[in-house]
Amino acid sequence: MPSRFPETDLGPGWTEKVLPTRLDCIREPEREVVARLRDLGYNEDLRFAVRLAIEEALVNAMKHGNRMDPSRQVVLAYRVSPERVEIRVRDEGPGFNPDVIPDPTCDENLHRPCGRGIMLMRSYMDEVSFACSGQEVQMVKYRKP
Amino acid sequence: MVRVRSEAILREAEVESFGRGLLALAEEPGQRVVLSFLGVHHLTSLVLGKLIHAHKRLTESGGELRLADIDPHIFEVFSITHLDRLFRIFEREDEAIASFSKEAEA
Repeated sequence: MPSRFPETDLGPGWTEKVLPTRLDCIREPEREVVARLRDLGYNEDLRFAVRLAIEEALVNAMKHGNRMDPSRQVVLAYRVSPERVEIRVRDEGPGFNPDVIPDPTCDENLHRPCGRGIMLMRSYMDEVSFACSGQEVQMVKYRKP
Repeated sequence: MVRVRSEAILREAEVESFGRGLLALAEEPGQRVVLSFLGVHHLTSLVLGKLIHAHKRLTESGGELRLADIDPHIFEVFSITHLDRLFRIFEREDEAIASFSKEAEA
């Protein structure tokens, strides 16, 4: 089966999951990744960080990317090694510019009920970048000694 | 006093009903609500959004939302997002309840 990430060529070792745009479909792949991390001995702090980042990325992809359109899909791809975990999440929305997202920690934005997902991903992962006009988020967490 | 048990708050499909439940508390003016997170070890920004919305509505109706029993990992999420400045957070639920009582006596 061809990769859903043709522009970024995932290479060997990646697992891809195609998900419907339904928030209740997030839990299963998230658990799968966390189980892999546990098997490889990643500690609780790392597992918490990766789990949170995956969940925020998938929620963003479904809510803000696909606008909860059930005809659209989200693709999660991950690769886990003893040294690092790499995550990619792609939606079928119009994309966005991550540089214009307001800072949710400013006093004037503190009462806004949304806009914290990207900030949390950036806080908990070591590398976060966006590709394909914002349709895809790419994240890396290193297992430091 | 509202207790959030186990990981129920984590299931995205249930976040909406969690939010509606909190907002229902704000329908009566002056409600003072303590939300205990004992047993919750994970949450996302969807839940933070519901808490912020409920906090706003409770404040508008003369009430207040205070939080307690927050797992260290989750407290870090509040800290990173600066929401520890928005919410009054107590170590234990009895401390949060007592804080309301003390203010009522003063």
